[in-house]
Amino acid sequence: MNWVELISMVSAGNYNEVESILREYPYIVEIADHLREEKMKVIENLSTYVDITMRNVEKLGGHAYLAKNKDDARKIAGEIVGENKTVVFSKTNAAYEVGLREYLESRHNEVWETDLGEYLVQISKGWPTHIVAPALDMTREDAAKAVRKIDPSINENSRVEDIVAAVRKFLMTKYVKADVGITGANAVAADSGAIALVENEGNIRIDTVMPQVHISITGIDKIVPTLRDAMDEVMVQAAYAGIYPPTYINVTAGPSSTADIELKRVSPATGPKDFHLILLDDGRMDASQNPDLKEALLCIKCGRCYFSCPIYRILGKDWVSTKSPYNGPTGVMWNYITNKDPWPASYCVHSGGCKEVCPMKINIPEVIKYIKYMGSKNL
Amino acid sequence: MDEDRVKKQEGLIRSVLYKNLMEDYTPFPLDKKLAVKWAAGLNVPRGGRVIIYTSYMYQMASVFKSYEKYVPTLGSLGKSRILASIGSRFIKPSDEDVERSVKILQNIYRMVSRVKADVGYLYEEEPYSGSLLYELGFLDEFKEYGRKVLQFFREKGVEEIITVDPHTTNTLANLKRYINFDIPFKNYITMIGTVKGGGKFVMHDSCLYSRFLDMYDTVRDKAKSAGIELVEDPTVTGKGVGFCCGGPVGPLNDELSNNIARARATALKSVYENVLVACPLCYVNLEPYCNVKDLAEVIE
Ligand code: SF4
Repeated sequence: MNWVELISMVSAGNYNEVESILREYPYIVEIADHLREEKMKVIENLSTYVDITMRNVEKLGGHAYLAKNKDDARKIAGEIVGENKTVVFSKTNAAYEVGLREYLESRHNEVWETDLGEYLVQISKGWPTHIVAPALDMTREDAAKAVRKIDPSINENSRVEDIVAAVRKFLMTKYVKADVGITGANAVAADSGAIALVENEGNIRIDTVMPQVHISITGIDKIVPTLRDAMDEVMVQAAYAGIYPPTYINVTAGPSSTADIELKRVSPATGPKDFHLILLDDGRMDASQNPDLKEALLCIKCGRCYFSCPIYRILGKDWVSTKSPYNGPTGVMWNYITNKDPWPASYCVHSGGCKEVCPMKINIPEVIKYIKYMGSKNL
Repeated sequence: MDEDRVKKQEGLIRSVLYKNLMEDYTPFPLDKKLAVKWAAGLNVPRGGRVIIYTSYMYQMASVFKSYEKYVPTLGSLGKSRILASIGSRFIKPSDEDVERSVKILQNIYRMVSRVKADVGYLYEEEPYSGSLLYELGFLDEFKEYGRKVLQFFREKGVEEIITVDPHTTNTLANLKRYINFDIPFKNYITMIGTVKGGGKFVMHDSCLYSRFLDMYDTVRDKAKSAGIELVEDPTVTGKGVGFCCGGPVGPLNDELSNNIARARATALKSVYENVLVACPLCYVNLEPYCNVKDLAEVIE
């Protein structure tokens, strides 16, 4: 099956899946509408919300940092991790955005992606094809070929179950010795300093509690006013990604703690003794002050718009390419926000499907039109 | 994507397009005799308060599609006067395309005339709408040219415009938004009365009608009320997943445009063998890959 056939099949599947989820759980649409309003409040007043969030993380005994750009983020994370450590990564776009895995590896750390798709991308030295399903373009044979590198018993006739089991076995050996777990965050609650993460595999849970240090790196756009909003965001993200209910929702509020003795909350307990939140600006603050661009910050990275985009459906990851982990319609917006690169916007055919399917009702074609315009000004 | 190619092509298009439009109201030198043939045959009144506005879209759709092929030549030729003199000789739709567009425009005009008397046409004076400028993101040039077009319509005493395609309709909607283009306009599908037609089709929506001009149901209702049977599959013809014919990226990358068209046609054919469109660009893009008809060919 070639890419165009594969993505046609996947797109139809996602369409049917999401439609049925929305029919079965009609409250999702209401939550999404409310979430849009709450996220807009933050975008309108981003620096205040960053301050509140950082204060509340510190109050919980965690450490909060604001990284202005990619370099800043790498340095902050690099200092926390140090050298010669074992690091387990959950799929995180912000880390990809700043090139964190490569940076940590260059500092003599052993770094492993633990999301299956992202792991396959890592060991095949590839680049994510989709924000929710990074290895979307890999067939079972491609996956088997990649996994054979760590388990010679895998060959092109291996079943998907066998491939998954081989990766699981390999990762288990890394989890137990991991010093640091690095995750993203689907949402960050300003009121409490808690982060929320949604997943199905179980790797995020392990990454956030097994290693004694947990670093969450995420964009300042992920801040929402309250923990309730954060829970809303993970539910909406999961539903529009086509998997609902999600298998796991994780909340992390500071380092592990216990109040079992005399009800006194002390830290650490079994889980990490340190929790670090790195909030990444990297163009987001500027975007929040640009009336033509700020809607893009509402994106919850569900990846649904990719499927209705004609250009993505033909070019796949070759569209925005390895410049950015964000691809498809939202990638055109986000690549501009984070890399100031307007050129992928030129290929937008303004089909408008992205706007129709976006849970945040972002007027994506209008934002892209602005980016096209900015590109044309620099010709 | 090939960024250098995009930059080069965009730069070239912008200069060629802008120069031609500002000097001649057309995006490239074209044979206007062919473009107005449909109206001459019907004795459509010249000018008038209410005009039908083709913006050359049906007449030149095949040329718009191949724009990428011509642009490097146009760009290297330099002076627009040279272009005007030799251009019409090499940028020409085929006889078959011309005949088809004549029939379509005449049919649209007849349907419109049944509900509106004395609809005129500007013939070879008709200005191109500026769609390409807007769609390629040349917004400064788009606004500037739009003001020129508005002024021109005013000078001609135009008080109402009837559009026949989605690109021109959408362009006027954007001129209204950007430069307060205040001449009322309507798309022909929204104003024609009872029409008759037949056949069974899967509808390929124009992105602009369906998702930008809120005409997803309007087009369907018109076709169905005429007696046309439409076969639907929500994963192919649903509003949010409708997909594009590939036309808009044609000026920048013909191969990509064709690949989109092929993929779209494959999806449509999985629903039904005959495809219905309501846009001249959708037609030229999909036509190599499936059986396709324009709405104005199957209703009257
Ligand atoms: S732009 Fe909308 S549809 Fe696309 S990933 Fe973001 S939230 Fe999802």
